[in-house]
Amino acid sequence: MTATIEQTGPATSVGEVPTFEVTLRVRRFLPEGPRGDESYWDDHVLTMHGTDRVLDALHKIKWEQDGSLTFRRSCAHGICGSDAMRINGRNRLACKTLLKDLDIRKPITVEPIKGLPVIKDLVVDMEPFFASYREIMPFLVTSGNQPSAERIQSPEQRAVYDDTTKCILCAACTSSCPVFWTDGQYFGPAAIVNAHRFIFDSRDEAATQRLEILNDKEGVWRCRTTFNCTEACPRGIEITKAIAEVKRAMITRAF
Amino acid sequence: MSTPVITAPRSPYARRKTTRGNFELYGWVFMRISGVVLVALIFTHLFVNLLAGEGINAIDFAFVAGKWASLPWRIVDLIMLWLAMMHGTNGVRTIINDYAEKDRTRGILKVLLYSAFVIVVVTGTLVIFTFDPCPAGADPALLADFCKQL
Amino acid sequence: MQTHQYDVVIVGAGGAGMRAALESSTRARTAVISKLYPTRSHTGAAQGGMCAALANVEEDNWEWHTFDTVKGGDYLVDQDAAEVMAKEAIDAVLDLERMGLPFNRTPEGKIDQRRFGGHTRNHGEAAVRRSCYAADRTGHMILQTLYQNCVKNDVEFFNEFYVLDIILDKDLAHEDVPEGEPVSVAGVVAYDLATGEIHVFRAKSVILATGGAGKIFKTTSNAHTLTGDGMALALRRGLPLEDMEFFQFHPTGLAGLGILLSEAARGEGGILRNGDGERFMERYAPTIKDLAPRDIVARSMANEVREGRGAGPNKDYVLLDLTHLEPAHIDAKLPDITEFARTYLGIEPYTEPVPVYPTAHYAMGGVPTNITTEVLRNNTDVVRGLYAAGEVACVSVHGSNRLGTNSLLDINVFGKRAGVAAAEYAASAAFVDMPDDAAAGTIAELEAMRSRPDGERVADLRRELQESMDRGAQVFRTEASLTETLAVVKDLQKRYGRVSVQDKGRLFNTDLLEAVELGFLLDLAEVVVVGALERKESRGGHFREDYPDRDDANFMVHTMAYRRGDAAAADAAGIPPHEIRLEPKPVVVTRYQPMERKY
Repeated sequence: MTATIEQTGPATSVGEVPTFEVTLRVRRFLPEGPRGDESYWDDHVLTMHGTDRVLDALHKIKWEQDGSLTFRRSCAHGICGSDAMRINGRNRLACKTLLKDLDIRKPITVEPIKGLPVIKDLVVDMEPFFASYREIMPFLVTSGNQPSAERIQSPEQRAVYDDTTKCILCAACTSSCPVFWTDGQYFGPAAIVNAHRFIFDSRDEAATQRLEILNDKEGVWRCRTTFNCTEACPRGIEITKAIAEVKRAMITRAF
Repeated sequence: MSTPVITAPRSPYARRKTTRGNFELYGWVFMRISGVVLVALIFTHLFVNLLAGEGINAIDFAFVAGKWASLPWRIVDLIMLWLAMMHGTNGVRTIINDYAEKDRTRGILKVLLYSAFVIVVVTGTLVIFTFDPCPAGADPALLADFCKQL
Repeated sequence: MQTHQYDVVIVGAGGAGMRAALESSTRARTAVISKLYPTRSHTGAAQGGMCAALANVEEDNWEWHTFDTVKGGDYLVDQDAAEVMAKEAIDAVLDLERMGLPFNRTPEGKIDQRRFGGHTRNHGEAAVRRSCYAADRTGHMILQTLYQNCVKNDVEFFNEFYVLDIILDKDLAHEDVPEGEPVSVAGVVAYDLATGEIHVFRAKSVILATGGAGKIFKTTSNAHTLTGDGMALALRRGLPLEDMEFFQFHPTGLAGLGILLSEAARGEGGILRNGDGERFMERYAPTIKDLAPRDIVARSMANEVREGRGAGPNKDYVLLDLTHLEPAHIDAKLPDITEFARTYLGIEPYTEPVPVYPTAHYAMGGVPTNITTEVLRNNTDVVRGLYAAGEVACVSVHGSNRLGTNSLLDINVFGKRAGVAAAEYAASAAFVDMPDDAAAGTIAELEAMRSRPDGERVADLRRELQESMDRGAQVFRTEASLTETLAVVKDLQKRYGRVSVQDKGRLFNTDLLEAVELGFLLDLAEVVVVGALERKESRGGHFREDYPDRDDANFMVHTMAYRRGDAAAADAAGIPPHEIRLEPKPVVVTRYQPMERKY
């Protein structure tokens, strides 16, 4: 299979968006289809533009070639976290990955994120992921009467957990983690990031409980600091650092 | 055409019973501390054995016997044995946890691992404590100098 | 088919839906049905902030906020509703803070506030710092915080369930039910995407919180999933839609993509230039130039392009110039915006201007409600047990043009009200009988579409609709352009009767659901265009070139659009002929008499 980058159509004028041909190699899994429970690769040759993203290519396939191609998407600009997938072996959001930034001379492989049960094509069952998230008590816990106005928090106290408030729960990090791949028992980076967001919030009073949860056999101690998660995060969260901070909090608590 | 092989879709998951307790925490801390101590111990060991004095040429039964005749050296080596075995075993335990997918495989590998640990640690400890630097009837040429005084 | 029974069913899990769920789930047995995982909702895309007269950094009060809202909406705002919103804004912000929302803080540790377009001190004297914010991701933090609290309260969610019908005890679409006669809601019919199974939910109260309908346009800042489901379902069941002709076009969407670049870019000193490099806003708004209200800037930009002064190879956009700003300043104040420009257009805003063009942003109109969020079935009667909140609803607090930040406020204030009201109604009301064949129509429609061997492609019809709407019903509208678009929409509605989907499966059939959503879009586009044709004036987001002035004598009224169809006269394609009937609804005026809108 060859793909070319030659210009299709007349010579482009300055500033015009160039078009090119690209092959998208999509991992298909259609349990109701003729091939049943077998998953297979499907190649599509597409003419795309310089501003197109992988999501546009997937839409082009779905809308013009094969309507059965199934994937999740919503906002299409990296905010909602619906379309995390493995693109050329790396976890990314399809709506934030421009085709021209990939090597379009070779087919671009698109697969579902790893470690979660595949339902259909690029759609995986997100329930295990959200189950882990729910387990770490991802909400503010306070005691006593509610104050009449806001709780006071200094800009410095807020800055401590700012990075981990960016999480969009897309699962790119958790599904890039080799520890999560094996048996899915590990809480995973996303759950730890969201625990971090509350553990280090000066208003919160349940840090101890969250640390105890993450002290579990399947908790932070399974992190091998491979940095896959940090690399995969489409929001640029320093996940491995956040996990290290949670570990440090546990150690200072224990000794 | 070479594309990465993906495993078949997995069945839905359920988290196993949670374990509350500090075992993993202590394990993690132990790995860091034992790692640092082991680095010191191993380099001391290598320096004393390979570089100090006549260096590598001095190593023979007599050299080992001479070292283990003194209690402090025995303690150093005992600590090194234990720490290295615990550190290594915990490391392999972690690797098994990370890479073995089935509980059964995991169980078998861990039984093998812990057996190896027990055998090595027990025999090693026995040797260090019951070591006789001047075995009766041995060729005096191979023994340490102080054996002649016996 | 499965049947469920809940006291309160909430349709949609964005800001309004989850805010309502937090209230109703503590009072009544509640289910939230959402076509997305809750954290995927488009509330998360909001950037700027949420206004409330907290007066944390300077003098402010809710009455000034009310005035700004009324004036911003070009006096088509129901002033009692605006007053409710501005008053309750303060508690809405404090509620969120207590739920854990990480607002930016003042040095004293209180919630920080910043300026935002149209929000002023003492009835227009000067800009006021009223917008409470969490960096440039306030919407994201609101959505996350609400979901977190739903987890805390153990709210029951049905994720990836599409609600495809609302069941009422009277057929308003085909019968004339006299004024004053009670009409009640019985429940909803939903489609489980994962299995393709139909679920019928019986409920005493139903809250619609399905969000907007930006996908009727091609260029939009809205998500692919914003297809106006709730509005279209209400319309099909004979309920009116209010003020649908008013759609907000945000001036600075990334050209060709529609991705939003916040107003803050111009607030920080960004300048709009045409293809000749001219700062054209000097001609349209000599005093405030680039910081004129959204509707004015959007119109000016579109005019430059139309008169051939656009930039780019096709001269179809203008440029947002940030190159005169210090890179450090850009990084500190506009990180998201610059990242969007780099990611999507490969443009470095430090050195190159960013191509921008107006993008469809927000539906001011929607399902009419009163200030307790009860859905109206005419100018006075409510449908018992049916509530609506958020972008799907029209209270109307936004009138003909929404002020920046007021949408996040709307979902919190009226979401909360809807949750409380729905639960209280459910406590005293009884279940309404659900007909045994409640889901029959929905199932038949789905099966027809799924089983049709071949026919029109959904994507083709949708593209034609969106392109036609962008051509005829966007920033500039004329009798001719709207008439042409209406003809296209009507033709597409006919062709819609022949659509088929390629995916014939039951599991996770998004192909089928896209077809269903297209039906919603077509119905709503028709209402937008018919409303725009009838409103022969220019007001806020609605600009008629053939009637460029505001006409308070004839059009200081809301538009109520009803769709009446006669199923018995169904044509060969199976599409019942229908007509859109428009009726006026008076605007509630309390304190502020209409004045000319100048900034």
